[in-house]
Amino acid sequence: MASHKLEESTIIEFCDVSFGFSVLTPLFEGISISIEKGAFYLIQGPSGVGKSTFLRLMNRLEEPVSGEIRFKNKPLSDFSPPRLRRAILYVQQTPTAVNGSVEDNLLLPFSFKTNLHLKKPGRERIEALLENVHLNGVEMNDHARTLSVGQLQRLCLIRGLLLSPEVLLLDEPTSALDKESAIAVTALLARLNVESHLTVLSVTHRTYGQENVPYRCLEMRDGRMEESP
Amino acid sequence: MTGTVIEIGPYQLILALVFILLAGGASLYHGLRLEKDLLVGTIRTFAQLFLLGYVLKFVFRLNSVWPVLAVFLFMIVFATRIIRSRIKEKQVAFFWPMLVSMVISYALAAILITGVVIGAKPWWKPQYFIPLGGMLIGNSMNAVAISLDRLLSDLKERRQEVEMMLCLGADYHEASKDMVKNAMRAGMIPAINSMMAVGVVFIPGMMTGQILAGADPLVAIRYQIVVMVMIVGATAMLSFLGVRIVCKLCFGPAQQLLLRPEKHGKRD
Repeated sequence: MASHKLEESTIIEFCDVSFGFSVLTPLFEGISISIEKGAFYLIQGPSGVGKSTFLRLMNRLEEPVSGEIRFKNKPLSDFSPPRLRRAILYVQQTPTAVNGSVEDNLLLPFSFKTNLHLKKPGRERIEALLENVHLNGVEMNDHARTLSVGQLQRLCLIRGLLLSPEVLLLDEPTSALDKESAIAVTALLARLNVESHLTVLSVTHRTYGQENVPYRCLEMRDGRMEESP
Repeated sequence: MTGTVIEIGPYQLILALVFILLAGGASLYHGLRLEKDLLVGTIRTFAQLFLLGYVLKFVFRLNSVWPVLAVFLFMIVFATRIIRSRIKEKQVAFFWPMLVSMVISYALAAILITGVVIGAKPWWKPQYFIPLGGMLIGNSMNAVAISLDRLLSDLKERRQEVEMMLCLGADYHEASKDMVKNAMRAGMIPAINSMMAVGVVFIPGMMTGQILAGADPLVAIRYQIVVMVMIVGATAMLSFLGVRIVCKLCFGPAQQLLLRPEKHGKRD
């Protein structure tokens, strides 16, 4: 594992953040951590410790009980939630598609008001991305709900990438993939991380292909988050 | 109105209880354990309707706008309470916003019907405003309860889909559009169905009442048409307002979905 030093500027900062689903049972207490721009983080820790919640706090699907989270040195509340979520894009653990074709699903984000000004990706770009994650057998007019969970998981990742986020939050992105596909996904993420300085935070228990990627490790345990050496 | 009404005396009322005895017997025979509910229901029916009768008689005699509006408001508060109690989902507190939207919708619809369509003078004339308002509230209350129940259960069941859209830059309107549409449709369908079946499958209560009271059936049907159209209109208006308001309350300031699964466990 090598430390990745593309840019040392902080993109997201947790300042003394605490969170709990009820007042009596806090999940985190006083987390203070800086996420460096262009870095690739793996978030690890035992099940149920709050790794997904840590990701969801960054795009305001959850709100901290106390403390502050900053993005590009401004509080998250300074950004409109839809714009913030497009910039800090979270790909859920359970891949979810709407009723429609693969193309409908890939272009879904471009039908939302916040994204209307964005140029729809061309077929070439979509096909190149699909090929990168071994989805070249999938036709654009296939019904999305006929895809396997593994295929759907990659489709959801590509759908997010088409919005060109600045930070990508991944929740077990390879959990339903075979080894070969998992390596392909990791390779694509590593390429985007190096070439486009995409900041990646990935909660994962499986690290196929990760040995070739310079990454940093965040360890979550007992309500605390620490960067492990 | 023409004709005479056959008055129902105390003995006839007691005789009508034979039907409750029959229902109670059936409950006992089949072990349904509904006897207590039947008894309470019967007592409440007698008590509430007698009370209503005396209140209406009093209000009619006062012939002033304030008691009429007080009765109307009382009915709306109770309807809101019934809606709240029928909806299993308790994570969203919507009693007060719902009450305000119900007062606005029902007041608009009732004033429009009595004052403009029927042309009662004054618009709050008790024998028009109170029964018509009551029918409006009673019928559309069910529709609103169905709509809201559907909205809340859909938002909870399809939480993943809603959050997926939010994560891709949708605002809460866009993320919940499908659920809002389904909820409004679910609330509207019973009212539309009853418009389809009226006069063929059933004779509505109001029309029956007027005919029993000796009104010309052709006058009674006109009132019934006005009432049915009014109910559909108010149901649509209230479903739209209620579903929108409650949907907004389901999302937090960051447009994050606040409804959580019943027993929320820790996330990974």
